[in-house]
Amino acid sequence: MLGTGQPPDRPADVVIIGAGASGSVAAAALTGAGFRVVCLEQGEWSDTADYMSAEPEAELAWHEKWNPNQNIRRNPADYPVTGDADIHPTMYNGVGGGLVQWAAMWQNLLPSDFRVRTLDGVADDWPIGWNDLAPFYDRAARDMSVSGLSGDPAFPELAYPNPPMPIGRSGMAAARGMDRLGWHWWPGVNAIASRPHNNLNACQRRGTCIIGCPENAKANGALTHWPGALEGGARLITGARVREIALDRQGRARGAVYIDRNGAEHLQEAGVVILAANGAGSARLLLMSTSPQFPDGLANSSGLVGRRLMQHPYRTVMVVMEEELDSWEGPWGQRIYSLEFAETRPEHDFVRGAKLHVCPHGGPMFAVYDHHNAHRDAGFDGLWGAEFHRAADTVFGHAFTWGVQAEDLPEESNRIILDPEVTDSDGLPAVRAEYRVSENSRRMLDFNAARAVEAAEAAGAVETSVSSIWPTGISHILGTTRMGDDSSSSVVDRWCRAHDVPNLYIVDGGVFVTAGSANPTATIMANTLRVVERMIEQRRHQESAV
Amino acid sequence: MNSSVSEKRRRVLAGLADALIAEGSGKPSASAAGVPGELLDRCLEAVPSLRSPLMAILDEAEGRDPDEFARELYARRPEDFTVLSTSVMGAYYLSPEVRKLIGYPGQAANPLSLAAAPEYLENGMLERVYERHPGYREQQGRERQPSPT
Repeated sequence: MLGTGQPPDRPADVVIIGAGASGSVAAAALTGAGFRVVCLEQGEWSDTADYMSAEPEAELAWHEKWNPNQNIRRNPADYPVTGDADIHPTMYNGVGGGLVQWAAMWQNLLPSDFRVRTLDGVADDWPIGWNDLAPFYDRAARDMSVSGLSGDPAFPELAYPNPPMPIGRSGMAAARGMDRLGWHWWPGVNAIASRPHNNLNACQRRGTCIIGCPENAKANGALTHWPGALEGGARLITGARVREIALDRQGRARGAVYIDRNGAEHLQEAGVVILAANGAGSARLLLMSTSPQFPDGLANSSGLVGRRLMQHPYRTVMVVMEEELDSWEGPWGQRIYSLEFAETRPEHDFVRGAKLHVCPHGGPMFAVYDHHNAHRDAGFDGLWGAEFHRAADTVFGHAFTWGVQAEDLPEESNRIILDPEVTDSDGLPAVRAEYRVSENSRRMLDFNAARAVEAAEAAGAVETSVSSIWPTGISHILGTTRMGDDSSSSVVDRWCRAHDVPNLYIVDGGVFVTAGSANPTATIMANTLRVVERMIEQRRHQESAV
Repeated sequence: MNSSVSEKRRRVLAGLADALIAEGSGKPSASAAGVPGELLDRCLEAVPSLRSPLMAILDEAEGRDPDEFARELYARRPEDFTVLSTSVMGAYYLSPEVRKLIGYPGQAANPLSLAAAPEYLENGMLERVYERHPGYREQQGRERQPSPT
């Protein structure tokens, strides 16, 4: 239990559920405006001593202790995610949330992403547009010590507080291919400090971003937002697993019921409840919060809680070059990205598009894995024994990865539900994911993977290998509590307040109407800032039960 | 050395490990690199879930021809082969000697320098991106922002 400032039982002005990307932004902003804030986080703090990133065993950390899949990692704070989904949702539960293990790619949505119905006749427009988020994008980038180069013509003007990270030999190799083909590319924008900035140290390029940054150079709400929020009086209770949103007789939220690590239940009362538990966790909690007034789950009169799950189907292209690339060198965030094929084009057999980005390739174990996967036909004799070293000799140090990140469109059949049998360690239902990759997404991935191969060949690649669709998600869990102006077709309004509950807000990626092809954290944090500042401005008009 | 792995099992592992990673290309075999010893212990400490299935595999392999047994796992029991190969490879690449031979410094700190202008700004590559891009799409047409360069 951390933080001080108020006795445990005192009702808060706001209780925030989840201390990750959106929860940390909300806590910092509300505390700064004088609100009494309590945050309930089921996980714990992690620090550099917990990471294996600076150890020789760093590559092995991926296999279990810092595996991105919570079902493999099995931290006590994790809850199981079940189901035979085409893509299995993943997350990290703890202070900082998914930012503890993210690659820190900082990517704003495109202006067109907010208007896909108007422009392309598919899915739905957002109730807000680029201009509503633009100032918050810039502020979120400052708060997250983002390093990037302004001026990308694919966007309106953007500002970043730090110079871009060097794109390295692999970024230059990939960029040469794009240059020869005349395609869009831009130096990668990452929430990694290229120089000391705010609470962050300068990146040391260990390349271990995804198993935890031991240098405190990668932005993470635990470093960027929570220190100020706690200093301002916010109270962050870790090990607090929320099982229900409590209501008053009028159907207003009056707080959250949580279970501590000793198994004791508590009610944290608050005037306003903010859900910031990611697109799976917030939907799960709403579905668990049934009552006579809300028999199908809280805020679910539309029937859309948990539905429209989007995850950015993902494939990779391993690119092997003749030249030495120092492939293990960090950061793991994007070296360069391309939005050449991010928009709908009439000549395509799919709508919308994908983002391409270049990542490093990692150490020798990753080289062997990718090499052996690409050459399965060679059999035991071609891969092991005396031939084993061929993988290290040809791939290790000479490869980079093109990531192909597709915009999947919302479909109501793709959803999060409560597992009827499996529970977490507190006996609460696990999340079950039902998710199929659409034909549109498959075509989009096929096309864009082929373009990545084309770009690699233009760069002079000696070998390329395309992965299948990753069965494990990239922790982008979007759309399950979408925003909209019509209460019959959305869960929250444009200010992310539940249509059905006047003092319940949701600020994580669940509110996305569509996914775009961008990594979602920049938008999640910018939108949270937008919503919370409006909440602060409207505080006198906020209905509450406490 | 971790006593929970018996010497007998380590001997069995040495044979299997060399079936997977033989000497070649100027690199030592797995056993010569020390895989069955302390390196295995470090690998199992880093990935604890390998321990139990690996011990079962080693017990089963005792008395069998290592090469033949490894091929059998590869062909018929891919999950067990993954346990074995991850353990062997994970331990192998912890060897300082092997790392030196393949030129891998590990995920070491390597401070960056921002002093020099990026090559892509100096050689005109990025300016060409700006010049050829149609601009972002917001309405039905395209919009443009000023050039960064």
